[in-house]
Amino acid sequence: MERSRLTKGTVITLIISILWLFPLILIFINSFKSDSEILNHFLELPKKLDFSYYAETWTKFGFPKLIANTLLYTVCTVLIVVLLAPLAAYYLERHKKERRCRIAFSLIILPIMVPFQSYMISLTRILGNIGLNNTKTGYILVSAGLCMPLAVFMIHGYINTIPIELEESAYIDGAGKVRTYFSIVLPLLVPILTTVVVLDALATWNDVITNQLVVGSNEAAINMQNALYMKFSAQTSDWSHALPGTVMSMVPSLIFFIFMQKYIISGATSGAVKG
Amino acid sequence: MDNEKKPVRVHSKKGKKRKETLMFIIFVVPALAFVLFATDIPFVMNIYYSVFDWNGISKNLTFVGLENFRKIFTSDKTYWTSWWFTLRFTFFYVIIVNAISLAIALALSKENRFAQVGRAFYYIPYIISLTAISLIWEFILGPAFDSLYESTGWSFFGMSWLGKPNLAFIVLVVITVWENVGFYMINYIAGIVSVPRDYMEAAKIDGANRWKAFWKVMFPLIMPSVSICFLTSLTFGFKLFDIIMVFTKGGPVNSTVSVAYNIYKEAFTNNHYGTATAKSLIFVAFILIVTGIQMRVTKKQEVEL
Repeated sequence: MERSRLTKGTVITLIISILWLFPLILIFINSFKSDSEILNHFLELPKKLDFSYYAETWTKFGFPKLIANTLLYTVCTVLIVVLLAPLAAYYLERHKKERRCRIAFSLIILPIMVPFQSYMISLTRILGNIGLNNTKTGYILVSAGLCMPLAVFMIHGYINTIPIELEESAYIDGAGKVRTYFSIVLPLLVPILTTVVVLDALATWNDVITNQLVVGSNEAAINMQNALYMKFSAQTSDWSHALPGTVMSMVPSLIFFIFMQKYIISGATSGAVKG
Repeated sequence: MDNEKKPVRVHSKKGKKRKETLMFIIFVVPALAFVLFATDIPFVMNIYYSVFDWNGISKNLTFVGLENFRKIFTSDKTYWTSWWFTLRFTFFYVIIVNAISLAIALALSKENRFAQVGRAFYYIPYIISLTAISLIWEFILGPAFDSLYESTGWSFFGMSWLGKPNLAFIVLVVITVWENVGFYMINYIAGIVSVPRDYMEAAKIDGANRWKAFWKVMFPLIMPSVSICFLTSLTFGFKLFDIIMVFTKGGPVNSTVSVAYNIYKEAFTNNHYGTATAKSLIFVAFILIVTGIQMRVTKKQEVEL
């Protein structure tokens, strides 16, 4: 066993790591204060844990609706991706010599290489033409479409490391491709699928740009981050509501991070190609 | 027996082919359809629109050939100003974010509880949303600095951090570094823990000091991580968009307009869809060269592992 000996460098880095989180701590302690208290005593701990600003923000900015929307988007995006990406990745990996598979794979990973700005303009036009702009359906379709490429790419790489022999013996036993996939391949993909779920859930929950582009300011389809962005980002002075709102939008991500840390961090290294 | 078997085999071959196509449709087409819809088809349409004069709304598109590109290269000053900003930003971002995250990674690469907690702390800004990041920093640079200025009188807190081009540039670098350091740190740690401990100990026994042992022994061995982090930060810098759109919106006086944001504004604020798509194509060509190199380097690294 390694001794947990702390070097001077490690201690300094740990102290700095608390400073690194200081902006978040600042937001948190000020989220319980009134505007004048924030302006005059922003470095002090709140005198009492006053949740009235949270309650006000919760009702005034319609958080139940925002949470419902954001949750719906996150669940739908993750379900679509986790259902379809491994199917495609599996087939494309096991038939990678076929021409149609090479073409399909290139088309799927193209968006990893080209920047979002090179298709967002026409994407908004297309959505407008088929009547899906400003709708929940439109946003879910786009969100899943944007998450798909990296998911397929990561799962494809993972399947590459799984020996093909297991599947072959299943074929010999008479199982078809679909059955082999569900009974043999899918269970082996659980680790990489967990990483994909975690990454896409976080990305969808935190998304502001895509929601802004697809649904704009449509109250019915707006997600939480976009709503906060629209309400507060234009040089706000309403800090006593902006801060509780920010904290409430962050808390789910932070709780998720604490429990899923291992997968989030492994996702950071396997998705490094994306940039 | 043979006579009976032959026709059956021919039949099954044909059937097999049809069945494979069916399998392709079941397995690949659904995922492919999503990507085609959200990215590939719009991407192709972008190429198409780039040779038209179009405001994005009207039904009639005027074909102008390469006129959009000619205009961009000859008379579009704002586009090239945005390139200059993007290149400057990328330069500082790449150096600073890599230096800091590598230093943190070296200090926190030991497998003990302190190091793990430290890593989590550095990683947290990377998992919160852009809206939260921008509100947090607006709060710090606004009310928090104002209040500190009043109590201390230090001019550092009284400066107009988002009102002067040079200061806003520094603020942007600081925020993006603060936000992303955790990501690079994790990638550096992955490289550092794969270096056998004997190597570093051998270097120490041979009399190398820590600085020398790092540069001569450790650094060459973590080269794969270095190249991943370097290239990832490079493309992040070139593609800089989200934080500009949410935080500075290009200001003050258009001094923080990145290339990607310039394209966005050309399309959605100025309604010059033709010009915007043409600009985006020039941007794509540039990014493709950079990511092409990136892919090649990452692939090489996969072989080495």
